[in-house]
Parts: sequence; C-alpha cells; structure tokens
Amino acid sequence: MGKIKFTTFISVLIFVTGLVNIAAQDSISFGGYVRNYTGILFNNLQDSTSENDFASVQNTFDLKANFSGEMADLHVEGYVYADGDTTLSAGIRELYFDLYSDSMDLRIGKQQIIWGKGDGVFITDVVSPKDMSNFIIPDFDEIRLGVTAVKADYYLGDFALEGVWIPVFTPNILPSQDSPWAVSMDLPTGVKPSIATSLPSTTLENSEGFAKISYMGSAFDFELMGGTMFDDAPTGHVTPVNLVSTPKLVDVTKEYQRLLMGGGSFSTEIAGVVLKGEGAYYNGKAFNMSPDALLADLGSGGDGTIVKKAVHYMAGADYVIAGVNIGVQFIQEYILDYDSRINNDEFNSTLTFLTAKKFMDDSLELKFFGYYGMYNSDALLRFSAGYSVTDGMLLTAGADIFIGDAGYFGQYDENDLGYIQVKYSF
Amino acid sequence: MRKLKKITLAIFLLTCAAVLGSAQSITGLKVMENVYNRPTGPEITSEMTMTLTNSRGSTRERTIRQYLKKFGEDEKKIMFFTSPADVKNTSFMDWSYGDSSKDDDMWIYLPALKKVKRISSENKSDYFMGSDFTYDDLGDRKPEQDSHKIIDEEAINGKDCYVIESIPKDKNSMYSKTVTWVVKDSWVGAKKEFYDEDGDLLKTLTIHSVDKVNGYWVILDMEMENVQKNHTTRLQFKDVQIGKSISDNFFTERQMKRGVR
Repeated sequence: MGKIKFTTFISVLIFVTGLVNIAAQDSISFGGYVRNYTGILFNNLQDSTSENDFASVQNTFDLKANFSGEMADLHVEGYVYADGDTTLSAGIRELYFDLYSDSMDLRIGKQQIIWGKGDGVFITDVVSPKDMSNFIIPDFDEIRLGVTAVKADYYLGDFALEGVWIPVFTPNILPSQDSPWAVSMDLPTGVKPSIATSLPSTTLENSEGFAKISYMGSAFDFELMGGTMFDDAPTGHVTPVNLVSTPKLVDVTKEYQRLLMGGGSFSTEIAGVVLKGEGAYYNGKAFNMSPDALLADLGSGGDGTIVKKAVHYMAGADYVIAGVNIGVQFIQEYILDYDSRINNDEFNSTLTFLTAKKFMDDSLELKFFGYYGMYNSDALLRFSAGYSVTDGMLLTAGADIFIGDAGYFGQYDENDLGYIQVKYSF
Repeated sequence: MRKLKKITLAIFLLTCAAVLGSAQSITGLKVMENVYNRPTGPEITSEMTMTLTNSRGSTRERTIRQYLKKFGEDEKKIMFFTSPADVKNTSFMDWSYGDSSKDDDMWIYLPALKKVKRISSENKSDYFMGSDFTYDDLGDRKPEQDSHKIIDEEAINGKDCYVIESIPKDKNSMYSKTVTWVVKDSWVGAKKEFYDEDGDLLKTLTIHSVDKVNGYWVILDMEMENVQKNHTTRLQFKDVQIGKSISDNFFTERQMKRGVR
C-alpha cells in the first residue's frame, strides 16, 4: 500500500508540475504508433487438437506527448493494448519531467534508463527492469519497464556524471503460468510448491541508487558504473511445510536479492571495425539450488538458495561490408567460488550474430539476429523482413525459431513462431 | 610613332605574360584545393529536405535539422531527423578531421533503443539513408585523395567554370573518376559527374541554387541523379544560418538524446 501511495504521489506531483509548466510551454508535439501483430505458434498450427492456432493477435496504440519549454520538458508515453478480443490493458510507459541547465539535467518521474554497449543483452543495463511476459520477443523499448526515479546528469566537456535514485523497487514482469513463455522453478520430483511473491517494503534503505561516469571521445567511449540494487529477477526461497507427506509440501517465496553491482563498458573503432566490451561484477547474487540438492539443504535448515559473487561480460565487434551490417558478440556469465549445488552452471556462454541489409531506398530491410547457447547447444534464430510501404507505415514478416532441448533458449523449443506486423507511426 | 609601337608591344607582351602566368599557376589540384578551402563559415545550421524519387516516379521525403561547427581543421556535425515519423528523433553525429590519415568518428542515436552507438566510418561508399548520396559524397573529400587535372573550361548557366577530372588514388574507390565543373570566381561546384568502376557514367550532381548567406557561398538546392537506376535525390536547404553561435558542448551524446531544440 505504501508503494502505491508513494508512486501515486510522485505521479500526481509530476503531472501537476507538468500542467503548471504547460501554461508556459513553447511547443507541444505528439507522436506514436498503431500496430497489429499476428503471431502463429508453428507447433499449434500442426496440432489439429489445439484450440488456439493463432497464439497471439495483439493490437497496440501508443501515444507520446512532449511539452517543451526553454529549460523544461514534460514527456508522457502511454499505451492501450488489446490481446485478441479478450484482454484490454492500458498503461504509462514513461511520464517524466525534465529540467535543463547549461551543465546539468534533472529528470524526475517514470522513465526508462538504458546503460551499456551490448546489443540484445543486459549486463550493465540493470537499472530498468524488464517485461518478460513474452520472453525477449517484443521490441526492446517495450521489454524495458519504466522506473519511478530521480536522475541527475552533470556534464563536463566530453564527460558526464549520472546519479540515479529509485525510491520504489520495480521488479521484472514474469510470464503468467498459462503463457507459453512461463518458466517453472526446478524442484525435486514429488514436491508440490505453494508459491508467493514478496516485494521489498518501501523504505529508504530499500531504495536503489546508481552512479555512472561516461566519456565520449574520438579515440573511444566508455562508461563506469556502480549501484546498490535489488536483483530484478526473483529467487525462490523454499520453506518446508510437510516433507513426509505425498506429495511433499513446500512454500516457495519469490524474493528479490539485494546486491552491489560495479561494471563498465567501452567502444572504439579500429580499421573500420567497432570493438566493444562490457562487464559487470555482482556481489550478493542469489541462486536456486538444483533439485538434487534442495531437500538436503531444507533438512539442514537452508532455504534452497546460495548467495555468490558473479561476473557477466561481453566482447563484440560491429562491421559494415558492402552495405551489410554485421555484429558478433561473445557473452559469458561466471559464478565465482562456485558451489556444485547451484542449479545454474558455473559458466554460461552465449554467442550472438547479427546481419542486416537495406534495399530499395532503405525501404526494405532484411535482418537476422541469432543467439547460440554454447553449453546446451541451444539457439534462438530471429529472421525478419521489414518493408516501409509508405513513410511511416512498416510491414514486417518474421520468424523466431528456437533450437535445443534445454537451456535459456532451448526450453522454448515448442515455441517457434511466425508473425506479420503492420505498424503505422505518426 | 615608334614610341607608341613600343608601348603597344610592351602591353601585348605583359598581357601575354599575365595570361600565360595565370594559366600556368592554376592546376587541377589548386582548383580543388580552392573548393575545399572555400570559407563556409565557422558555424552553420540549416534544415534539409531530402526527396527521393524512384524510377516509377514515386517519392519519399525526409527532413533533417543539421548543425555544423568547425574546430580549426576539424569539423563536428549533428543531424536530427524530424520526419517521417518512423525515423523522427533519430540523430547522427560525425566528427571529421583535417588530418587525412584519421578516420571520422560517427555515432547514431536510435530512440527505440534509447542508446547512442558508435558506428563504423569505414564504408563511406555506403548510401546515406537510401539516397543517391554516399557518405563520402556528402562529406568534404580531401583534395589529396585524388589526382586532378583541368580538362576543359566551359560555361554553366552563364558562369565560367573549370572542368576538373579527378581520379581517386585509392584503387578500391567506388568511382573510377569524377568530373567537376567549378565556377571560377566563387570556387563553388556547378555540376559533377561520377563514373563507376567500368568507366561508365553512374551519377550526375546538378546544383540548382547557390546564394550568399552572411557573405559565404552556400548551395541551397542540389540534385543527384543515378542515371543507371533512373533514381534521383534532391537536397533542399532552408533556414540556413551562418555565424549563429553553437556551443562547443553541443556535439555530445547529451544533445543527440535530447534532440533538436
């Protein structure tokens, strides 16, 4: 309740401040898009008993409004989202107020804060949580969730200092249990969980704080950052209820682990190749135990979780040859002082490959983005062809193919999908 | 009478010497250096409309607000895309250097990703935003990158021009040669032809309008025609301001994200 009150208070404060400011505005601009997305799960298409051949028919109306003054802006972006004929939802992606001075900017309100140099990965990009309802299939600006925050940037030449204070924690949105993207916790056979979620209370000590220094220059760009934060993804803390019954009964409370993060990223160009790197160190990251180790841990008074230090890093390169954009990245997660009872592997390595080319006055773009999980030999292959029918209207057809039996991508092997999307931007 | 003849002869000889001296002092390289070094103002802002017309006659239009500032031999530029809606708020920044051995630095800001990305400046022969202009065509190509010679003198729209043939020293250039018509008194280009690797005419650039803004010659309207694809791109500039102060700190990630003001 405290969280709702605080968020409401901040929103009202921003809105009222904005309204007062509008009276003195120099300009008001609107933009947004209308979009239809029709996706088909190939697996359902082949299954004649399936009730839903069309896995997803989504209509979205997105509206942005910007009220601009000489030294201040008010930005609002809202959406109405209809999933088939059954679900209608609306929300605010961002609502913030900007104040500008010669060397400092202040942004207050619900906002997306994006850090890092990697493409399609979240290493130092940990300030804004993610909407994982549909895994990583949607556009990234829709995956990222706004956080209610105060962000201050101070500029000194080619350097920028950024501080972020997030008074109210916002977690990732996870797929619902009836979603094809749902992920269930690995538990031993014969264990029935009762699952609940526990959010951190809204107190000053539970607020999150981040700081970043960045530099943009001729030779290279870099960012160094750190934060005291909650992990946006929960860990299941297990409490035994009855371990002698059949099935064994446990309570699982999804909790968000407090941790410290420090990291950095850079990019530079050498002989026409853009080289980039990004890395983060997490102190206090919680992991669930493997099913084999869980019951023993519960028997010794544990809750099925282990807290460790971990690092996550990426090295990559972008190049353009004959108009074809090519990008490769090697990404690795490593749990320090590894404990074999942890459900995750000690190392988790992923390769990504991007290639894209535009044709016909840039009105047609063919694109491929692939993820390959090296340990489980699983993959996500994303193909798309986008054609700009007229200025502002984009017709896209694509397919997302999952390969493998296990792993981050292989777990969705049944979820291969094709889609057609019509988007009109205004 | 003999004295008058001597004076006449002296004037004739002096005139010949002046003409010969003038013709010998100007070379293709010198003409192109004059074009390259023509004062363009230390700070320029303008709004550019780019109209693409394909072989079927259908058109697409993009508008771009651009800011340019010179820092000695170096130059920084930001372009903000203001329409159409699907590219609005995208921005592109280019730092180019007088040192010809140093590549440009380029970044792009994509509002959907809310991230500024460094991009490769290697392939300057790529076409800019689907237009008929390559990045190289739009930049200031340095005279020493080509071998130049005067091949003719010709009037374009009543203005006397040098006709300069330029052959790239880089054998991997997408052009085998270019031919440029340079107006003699202003050192502004009037027309340019681009020949492909086989030596066939690929594109023709026509300057439709040139005017003086704050004492500087500025091209206000030009059109590139790809004669092999029957495709044209017209660039028209308005609200050109030269001398309006642009802060040194304008050419930053901050401004790319903040957008046109």
